[in-house]
Amino acid sequence: MSTIALPKVEPLDPIRPKRRGLSPWQVWGVALLAPYILVFAVFVVYPVAYGFWLARDPQSYVRLFDDPVFAGAVVNTLVFLIIGINVKMLVALFLSGFFVNTRPWIKWLSILFILPWAVPSIPTILSVRFMLNPEWGLVNQVIFRLTAADGPNWLNDRWLALTMAILVHVWKSLPFWTMILIAGRLTIPPELYEAASVDGASKWQKFRFVTWPSLATLYLTSTILSMIWTLGDFNSVYLLTGGGPADLTHVLATLGIRYLRLDQVDLAMATIVVAMPFVLPLMYFMMKRLSK
Amino acid sequence: MSSVSFHHVEKSFGATKVIHGISFDIADGEFMVLVGPSGCGKSTLLRMLAGLEDITSGTIAIDGRVVNDVDSKDRDIAMVFQSYALYPHMSVRENMGFRLRLRRADRREIDTRVARAAQILKLEPYLDRFPRELSGGQRQRVAMGRAIVRDPKVFLFDEPLSNLDAKLRVQMRSEIKALHQRLKTTTVYVTHDQIEAMTMADRIVVMHDGRVEQIGRPLDLYDRPNNLFVAQFIGSPAMNVVSGTVRRHNGSAWLEADGVRWPMGEVPGAEGQPVVFGVRPEHLDLARTDGDHVAGDVIVVEPTGAETELLVQVGASQVTLVTSGRPRVRPGERIALAVEPGMGHVFDRESGQRLVD
Repeated sequence: MSTIALPKVEPLDPIRPKRRGLSPWQVWGVALLAPYILVFAVFVVYPVAYGFWLARDPQSYVRLFDDPVFAGAVVNTLVFLIIGINVKMLVALFLSGFFVNTRPWIKWLSILFILPWAVPSIPTILSVRFMLNPEWGLVNQVIFRLTAADGPNWLNDRWLALTMAILVHVWKSLPFWTMILIAGRLTIPPELYEAASVDGASKWQKFRFVTWPSLATLYLTSTILSMIWTLGDFNSVYLLTGGGPADLTHVLATLGIRYLRLDQVDLAMATIVVAMPFVLPLMYFMMKRLSK
Repeated sequence: MSSVSFHHVEKSFGATKVIHGISFDIADGEFMVLVGPSGCGKSTLLRMLAGLEDITSGTIAIDGRVVNDVDSKDRDIAMVFQSYALYPHMSVRENMGFRLRLRRADRREIDTRVARAAQILKLEPYLDRFPRELSGGQRQRVAMGRAIVRDPKVFLFDEPLSNLDAKLRVQMRSEIKALHQRLKTTTVYVTHDQIEAMTMADRIVVMHDGRVEQIGRPLDLYDRPNNLFVAQFIGSPAMNVVSGTVRRHNGSAWLEADGVRWPMGEVPGAEGQPVVFGVRPEHLDLARTDGDHVAGDVIVVEPTGAETELLVQVGASQVTLVTSGRPRVRPGERIALAVEPGMGHVFDRESGQRLVD
């Protein structure tokens, strides 16, 4: 008698066993995420936390607020941000209108115009500093030749020196923001301007009713972003005035370095923490706009 | 309402001449269509009339007044653009009233005129919407509304239907025509679509390579094209053309082309003259084999319901035939074609000009 071997059937387990560990999908997820988390932890979380830890002593803030240089730096920072950035963005808005012209010589000019942004900061800002030297600087020599009078001592007066620092900042970053606004203007269909011409709009009305409504969001976002970046702009002030004369032209970005050089690490960190109230509202506003 | 006249108008971009001395007049209240293939200069001509392009030489006059140096805004024209060019940040109402607002018109007057235009174009429910919230056809209507609110001397349309789908295009075509019949404003309309030109125009200007090929009423262009270009551009499916030599014998005439003998009937052309013979697809008939005919082989049969289109190989050329009804022919079948008497066109082979009877 022969038997027929039936294939052995495993009984179906009605209750699925609890999965142990991660599915391959999840393992891959973790593996791919790990390097980023590691970099983020080492280079962002740790330094920031360490900074806060260094700035943990309330006494540091008392000393910081008592330092007259700090009050001056806050005022300077506000002037830099509110006046400097807005003047820069207005000029960029105006220049972007000029550079969207398609004439060949304007194309060449725009290449020259972009140079200040493209060259490195340290040599260029230092050369501006030399040009502004009251005795042998280029600027005062020209003034002397033309008027036979001595030029001002550019970097020796608080407001004059701060103005020069703002001008250097504007000169350096204007090309970048002009390019951004040019890009914004180029997205406006030319027929809109033609329709406005036929409708009888003047140059100003074309700007008011066609250009500005299309550009306003970009303009505002750029202004805020520029303010955030400028809060950390150390070069324009430090390389030009070094915070002088008599520590009168410091901004928050240079003040931190000043304290570091004086071996007051806790004050340096406190300065950065104090800058947070400036940055956070701007960041919040920015994120809200970008997530719209 | 006004007349428009072009007088020896030329246009160059740098060293490239794109308009070669064009002259014609548009009568008061006329619907004139400029038609031609892309790059023929029709849009440039319209933009010169609108004041959006300089006039290199010659003059353009609106209502007898030369406007060469008059600003676009002072020409009293309204223009509808291919892309509609609606101001994206303004509502339909603001878009339509923009010109009046710039002119500092009274607010009540603006409201009345916008309301009237909206009523004509059935835009009332959309007045407070923004262009991005409208469909293509609605945007098109707003663009027209913006034009009619102003009550201009001349309407200019630059390929206004090109961005619409086929069905909407046909609908807007009749709406524009109806609008013109109601307002009777002089209109210059640019298109590359000869069907639009044929169906809408009082008169058509056919342009090619910056020159005017022919000006006339739609059916005149269709029935008596001045040259081969117009013959083949106007009409769909296009006119069949066969190159050959005129032969005359004993009072009858025929075209000899690659050994095929095309009966031409009463048409001009001297014995031995090299010509191009043209016949429209609907003027070719399926013939009984006893009359004057040419033989051909059916290649493709395309029934469209009311009509049937046949592609037929005759000698070395392929010709199209359109016939009403549904003939029982199959691809590969040999058929006989007859040219309707008096419906042939003969053009000089060298110049492409129509031979005058």
